[in-house]
Amino acid sequence: MSTVLRTRCTVDADGRITFRLSPPEATRPELVLVLRPKKGRPEETTHTLGLEPEGGEGEFHAVLEPHPRLAEGRWDVYLRSGPDTVRERLRPGPRDVRVLVDGALRDRPSPVAVRVPYTTKDGFLAIRTWLRTAHAEAGPLVIADGAMTVRARLHGAELADEAKVLLRLRADRDTVLTVPARPAGEGGGTFSFTVAYGELTGTGNRIWDAFLRPAADAPPVRIGRLLDDLADRKGVFVYPGVTVDGAAIRPYYTVDNDLSVEVTAAVRTGGPPREPGARGT
Amino acid sequence: MKVSFLIHNAYGIGGTITTTFNLAGALAERHDVEIVSVLRHREHPHLTPHPGVRLRALVDLRREQDHPLHRRPAQVFPAAEYRHRQYSELTDRRIAESLADTGADVVIGTRPGLNVHLALQAPRHVVRVGQEHLTLDNHSPALRTALRRAYCGLDVLTTVTEADAASYRRKMRLPGVRVEALPNSVPDPALPTADGTAKVVVAAGRLVPVKRFDLIVEAFARVAAEFPDWQLRIYGKGEEQDRLRALIERLGLWNNVFLMGAATPMEAEWVKGSIGVAASDFEPFGMTLVEAMRCGLPFVSTDCPYGPAEIIKDGEDGRLVPVGDSTAFAEALLGLVRDDALRRRMGRAALHNARRFAPGPVVTQAERMLQEAIEARGGDRPGAPSRTGMHRTLVSRGHAARDLARAAASSALRTVRKGRT
Repeated sequence: MSTVLRTRCTVDADGRITFRLSPPEATRPELVLVLRPKKGRPEETTHTLGLEPEGGEGEFHAVLEPHPRLAEGRWDVYLRSGPDTVRERLRPGPRDVRVLVDGALRDRPSPVAVRVPYTTKDGFLAIRTWLRTAHAEAGPLVIADGAMTVRARLHGAELADEAKVLLRLRADRDTVLTVPARPAGEGGGTFSFTVAYGELTGTGNRIWDAFLRPAADAPPVRIGRLLDDLADRKGVFVYPGVTVDGAAIRPYYTVDNDLSVEVTAAVRTGGPPREPGARGT
Repeated sequence: MKVSFLIHNAYGIGGTITTTFNLAGALAERHDVEIVSVLRHREHPHLTPHPGVRLRALVDLRREQDHPLHRRPAQVFPAAEYRHRQYSELTDRRIAESLADTGADVVIGTRPGLNVHLALQAPRHVVRVGQEHLTLDNHSPALRTALRRAYCGLDVLTTVTEADAASYRRKMRLPGVRVEALPNSVPDPALPTADGTAKVVVAAGRLVPVKRFDLIVEAFARVAAEFPDWQLRIYGKGEEQDRLRALIERLGLWNNVFLMGAATPMEAEWVKGSIGVAASDFEPFGMTLVEAMRCGLPFVSTDCPYGPAEIIKDGEDGRLVPVGDSTAFAEALLGLVRDDALRRRMGRAALHNARRFAPGPVVTQAERMLQEAIEARGGDRPGAPSRTGMHRTLVSRGHAARDLARAAASSALRTVRKGRT
């Protein structure tokens, strides 16, 4: 019976991650982080950490310091027990990431770097990372009267009075809808914006991606929600759909935890026509 | 001593499996312990047993699913048991052989049908311990009638709560059978305990109607109105998922209430919160209450049968509120959200009080109980016990008669229904 090697990890407020594990046999063991390549592309980026013995119980630990910053993506975690051994992918033990839960309350300088250890769908340990020059963190969404109002906070850049929110059509990047970013009373880069759903409809299905342009000449910053403990938000932060002009409109978080709005052309009412003799089941 | 657990399927997932592995592992520190799994459907169990515990299976469904004897209904395993359809003449036979050949001093059954096997088939010198992880009142009248006959052949019957033990003593006449509550144990937490500062309330369990997650969401609407920076996280999956999602939308709680999906183990999720909640209509034990409290969370629960009142001390380490009352639930929850000092004090009390569910104390109780049962078994079996007074006999006979009548009525009804289809 193969033993399952589980790795505990703890995250602190600076983004430092400490890994602890007890490999069965190890001479100069290392932890190897591998950036998951895009489909069909070869593996290129790895980051290796030395494992240091800790106590006398055969336990080792490795520390991933806040620097250097890791590239944005998903990093798989492997153990290489010795210089001549094949690396072995690790499964998670207890993941103490509680410090990340209220991470949106802390100020983030540029670049905004985020690391969230998580369990992959097939049960392995991985680290979700984001690395952005600046980031606009979405907060609560108010959905009412055919519009959505989003409160958000800019990190890693200055919010100018002329800041604007852009909604860009994913399938046609030249189609951009602009609404004002209203600075909020509490300052500190907080702002809010309102999008009238009626502006988003058109022919067929479409997706709008949300950006902030912090100043007139500044590059756009993606609006998303990265600053807590959730690596995959899409199925957890779910917003209601509203029907406007015969289209269903629903804001959602992408697989990268960025904020987008989905517009789905409504199906005809009454359902599809029934074939003669067809029976319900 | 040599201890043998008999379990339905050690390769699945569930509370009985977890608690059996925990108890077996703890006993294995000082005793010879095996787990006998009636069924097996995969190579490795989901949970890794303690290295000192031997695990073996009687029927391997990967090879024996189509065994001719496995197609014939079980005769020994009672027909009224929930899992009767998974049992067969093959399981009857293999369980009987396994019990006849056992080298154990004590055999422990972990569900009603297996307890019946022990009671009827364990050799005379072996101590027979039946464990009930469900409750007597939730069994059908037909099952209660079957168990009433068979359980007289046990030495010990354990329940997970005192309330259920009392129910067995009152409603079943089991002369010579020691009926005792043995709570489930929860291992010591591996992570530092919660410090009570997180603005997160945590609930966990299968998303099924009896757990009343809808009531928790309704109650949380009042918390979110007063404290918009607090969130409720619900862990688990199940048939209620879509209804709960719709309720969250209807109440406009999408910024505060989150359906997180299943998480096992839950420990790393409990410690992200500072209050645990459950609103079940019925809870045979209340494993999530103990898990959360062992992580340092005060717990708000409905005072449903049977577990919560035996786990929570109302006002000291949590709150007990009436079943089905979302207003009372919201009041109790708000009391803990509003008052940081109270929440932290109750969290510390929860941590302290829940230590009685640590493997140590529970195993000590189990060891003492098993040892005493072996000693009692050493002499001849007691005959008609003097402690069973006339009144109790009459009371239990009354329950027996009612169950027989109900069982007969429901089987007659089934016959009528079958005739119609």
